[in-house]
Amino acid sequence: MSNTDSKTDPAASEQGTDDVITDEMAIDTEVTADTAGTIDADRTIIRADDVNVWYNDDQALRDISLEIPENRVTAMIGPSGCGKSTFLRCINRMNDMIDAARVEGDLYLRGKNVYDDDVDPVALRRRVGIVFQEPNPFPKSIYDNVTYGLEVQNMDGDYDEIVERSLKRAALWEEVEDQLDESGLELSGGQQQRLCIARAIAPDPEVLLMDEPASALDPIATSKIEDLIEELAEEYTVVIVTHNMQQAARISDKTAVFLTGGELVEFDDTQTIFENPEHQRVEDYITGKFG
Amino acid sequence: MATERDTPTAAGERVIESFGRVSRTADRVFRALLLVATLLGIVALAILLVYVANDAIRPLTADPAWHLTFFLTLVVPTIAVGGYLYRFDAESFQFGTITVGMLAVSSMFAAGAAMIFVDIVAPVVWFAFVLAFGTAFAGIVTLSRFSHRIPFLARFLASGAFLVGSVLFVPDAVQSLPVYPSDWVMLTASLALPLAVVVGRYVAADTGWRGTVLAAGIGLGVVVLATNIGPLVGITPVPALVMTVMSVVPTGGYVAGRVRRHPELRPGLALAAAVLGGALVGAAAVDALGFAGPQAWVDWQFLTSAHNNTAAEAGLYPAIGGSILLMVTVAAISFPVGVGAAVYLEEYAPNNRLTRTIDVNISNLAGVPSVVYGLLGLGVFTRYLGQPRGTVLVGGATLALLILPIVIISAREALRGVPDEMRQASYGMGATRWQTVRNVVLPEAFPAILTGTILALGRAIGETAPLLMIGAPSVLYALPTDFSSKTGAMPLQVYAWASNYATPEFHNKAVPAGVVVLLVVLLSMNSIAIVLRNKYQRDH
Repeated sequence: MSNTDSKTDPAASEQGTDDVITDEMAIDTEVTADTAGTIDADRTIIRADDVNVWYNDDQALRDISLEIPENRVTAMIGPSGCGKSTFLRCINRMNDMIDAARVEGDLYLRGKNVYDDDVDPVALRRRVGIVFQEPNPFPKSIYDNVTYGLEVQNMDGDYDEIVERSLKRAALWEEVEDQLDESGLELSGGQQQRLCIARAIAPDPEVLLMDEPASALDPIATSKIEDLIEELAEEYTVVIVTHNMQQAARISDKTAVFLTGGELVEFDDTQTIFENPEHQRVEDYITGKFG
Repeated sequence: MATERDTPTAAGERVIESFGRVSRTADRVFRALLLVATLLGIVALAILLVYVANDAIRPLTADPAWHLTFFLTLVVPTIAVGGYLYRFDAESFQFGTITVGMLAVSSMFAAGAAMIFVDIVAPVVWFAFVLAFGTAFAGIVTLSRFSHRIPFLARFLASGAFLVGSVLFVPDAVQSLPVYPSDWVMLTASLALPLAVVVGRYVAADTGWRGTVLAAGIGLGVVVLATNIGPLVGITPVPALVMTVMSVVPTGGYVAGRVRRHPELRPGLALAAAVLGGALVGAAAVDALGFAGPQAWVDWQFLTSAHNNTAAEAGLYPAIGGSILLMVTVAAISFPVGVGAAVYLEEYAPNNRLTRTIDVNISNLAGVPSVVYGLLGLGVFTRYLGQPRGTVLVGGATLALLILPIVIISAREALRGVPDEMRQASYGMGATRWQTVRNVVLPEAFPAILTGTILALGRAIGETAPLLMIGAPSVLYALPTDFSSKTGAMPLQVYAWASNYATPEFHNKAVPAGVVVLLVVLLSMNSIAIVLRNKYQRDH
């Protein structure tokens, strides 16, 4: 598969020459120049600058500015309706699908503003994978679910091998290796969610967004997903929205706390947030006084 | 709540002695009225149908012994087996009924198809066009297989060129050959082979290609066998082949596939055996014992002869052929256009004033009287486009316009039924809208779209007014032979018998018989739609 080297040479990574122009996204070359296997501890991959989002006249996010480090797990926590999922969907422009949504401000992925006019959201989404709250495999076979991204992105490569590797990375291979031709809908909820993760990582994106990926699952399935996220952070930048504070504390390196009204109140190392937050409101939220 | 009815006991607890009663009279009256409203139309129509069916089939003209024979051989075993399964094994019961229904309905449509191959489309023409489309398809597949790097537009144009080229040249080339194989060989290659492969895949796709090939081979073997046995019992090869391909093989494949995957459904076959066996044994018995059957007006003669000024000799054959050709035209026009419009409106259209205007107007179009569509067809197709009046093409196009709003509305309903999470998942994987529609939305919505389209076709097959408007002859003495020849239609013929030939003879014989045939066709189409819809709903 040609995309595995995308972190070192993004310009060469695009195989897709379908009806979509995938090379529209110019990538900041300065970032790519100095990488040769080593991972700089806190290099920023995503930077938000005063991002505001409105749904019609309701403001869902207010002046969000933060920097998400590469190859780390960044958690977004906060009470319901605080805008954390909205922010997540800004990163790969899934909000474009909602007619009523309007985004202002700048959001950079490797130095390129994804809201620039010349950015094709489809091309963006090929670099930024997403896993949703409810497991939503396609009504296709397990195999076809995993290869879906490869098919639509017109990627070359040994699909059998990619399927095996993705399912192994998603810790699902051993449970399904004999039933790859069966429908993805026949799996249990936790398996379906891991299938969705395998599907998201198969085309080898740079960033993996997860929107409360374990909230519809039972505790055992949840702990499997959590282990998996920690492993995925070795290769991917993971941004995860969760309403489960323990989960954020367990798996994330950085935590952003959103509070009601779409404000980002505090963003820091997870340890700092949970042990010594700067703001009283964050401490109140984390200790369960509200939210 | 404490009320005066609560009496304090010695211990000071309050005990309720009675809750009292609330009057339900209004409830009951309302319920009864609603029931009447529900049943009014159904009962009225049912009574009419009983009268019509009685006139058309005349069951009372049969020898009572004939009835008794069939009662004993067919009805009793069917009720016994069916009742038992219905009580104790509902799944198998359903399997059995679908098997019988499928055989009956597919035989009917196969008969229609056989009629087309015998009298309208020569097998060589069919063979030539299948070959043309097959060549084009193979070319397009090869192109897309080996050329991810050719830009889309070039690929699209090349595919179009393939298609147009082969349709333009291949059929002529084939038909200009000095000799070609006999009809049944060509039909085996162009009709039986593809269908056998489809059926084989259904039966045994999960066992790999060997199983599929084996199953398809068995299907093909049955077809060849039936084609060669047919002439011995008086059926010429072409109808024998078409009937087997379109009725026996699909039903057999359905049974084999289901039973192989769900052996627990096997008892359902007993029901099918009871019905088919009972009918055969009954027929043999009345034949051997010489019991006379009913002198029905719907009989072989009625189905295979043209109109005649004597009611007893009048038939529906040209009208049936016309209706079939009309339906093929209507489906070919309204399905792609209607589904295309629905996909645009559901998946692409921005939510603005123009879209909303289109929306409202499509709903309005669905309510425009059919005679107005007839006028539209007359104006557009015959006046402006200069088409001759009353041809299959003009009639089909007019009826297609008539049902287009219904197709669009039902297809949109189907598309709306696809969960948004699936679209989100697809877009999240970096799919374009087209890829999402093609790979996720359409496959998911397809059964429901098909259901809606079949129901809409049912509406078209019964239309009379638009066909009269475009000048279709109400009485046709010969089958339309191609798409530009004059067409009749079943409802038109029935209307003609009821108006132009308004004698008691026609009223009591030909009209009921025609109505029964029309309704049987209509109900079989609807039954397909209902089975599809039930299957679709079960899957979700």
